Amino acid sequence: MGPPPTETARLVIPSDPHRVTEADEFLELALRKHGVPDSIVTDLAIVTTELVNNAIMHGNRQNIDKMVTLTVQFSGDIVEIRVADQSDDGPFDPSTLPDPLAEENLLKEVGRGVFIVRSLMDEVTFEKGPTGGTVVVVRKSVKSE
Amino acid sequence: MKLTHREQDGVVILEPKGKIMGGPDATVLHEQIHELISQSKLRVVIDLAKVDWMNSTGLGILIAGLTTLRDNKGDLKLACVTDKIQSLLTITKLITVFDAYDTVEEAIAGF
Repeated sequence: MGPPPTETARLVIPSDPHRVTEADEFLELALRKHGVPDSIVTDLAIVTTELVNNAIMHGNRQNIDKMVTLTVQFSGDIVEIRVADQSDDGPFDPSTLPDPLAEENLLKEVGRGVFIVRSLMDEVTFEKGPTGGTVVVVRKSVKSE
Repeated sequence: MKLTHREQDGVVILEPKGKIMGGPDATVLHEQIHELISQSKLRVVIDLAKVDWMNSTGLGILIAGLTTLRDNKGDLKLACVTDKIQSLLTITKLITVFDAYDTVEEAIAGF
């Protein structure tokens, strides 16, 4: 068990694809305020926008009455980011995703977001939200590389 | 993302600027490429020097541009790929799909 969280920030947005930029700005502000190095900010921004896009497009199916909640929490040198949707049929099972590295999938325009998230983060879990839906939790050490 | 373009030696150079993360980004580049095809301009270089970063939506946009141009007997090449984008292209194996060059001039010469 690590140190208790020292700082938590939360953003709630409706499931409008145009709102992903707001999620990015919110995240980057929180990270830079905490002194996170630029290269790690970029990785976390890539990951967070992937997850927010997925929550908007797939979890909540662009229903603007459904919300996406983004939470950023720092505990020592670890940042934890949670992206929660309000889907009716969570939690999402990532094992159902096709392999984006398979030859037959390389030219597909979609399907590599979760793979990228797993490649850039130290830990990734898919959980059931407290009232249903999917919460994706990612953790990354933010010590200077 | 903002998008500008210019022509050089019979090749169209598209210059996206900013972050490519989703939302309205997808349609901007796609519409531009369809416009170029309608004008029979089938050799395109995307200069990525001013792209801060992109996520999988950005990669999907590049793939869509590539396949659309190749379906119309054209081609698309990448230039000035930043380290972060190079890393993403490598881990997703898309580095095997795209012709990527260090400079716009080298990309133009690649046609």
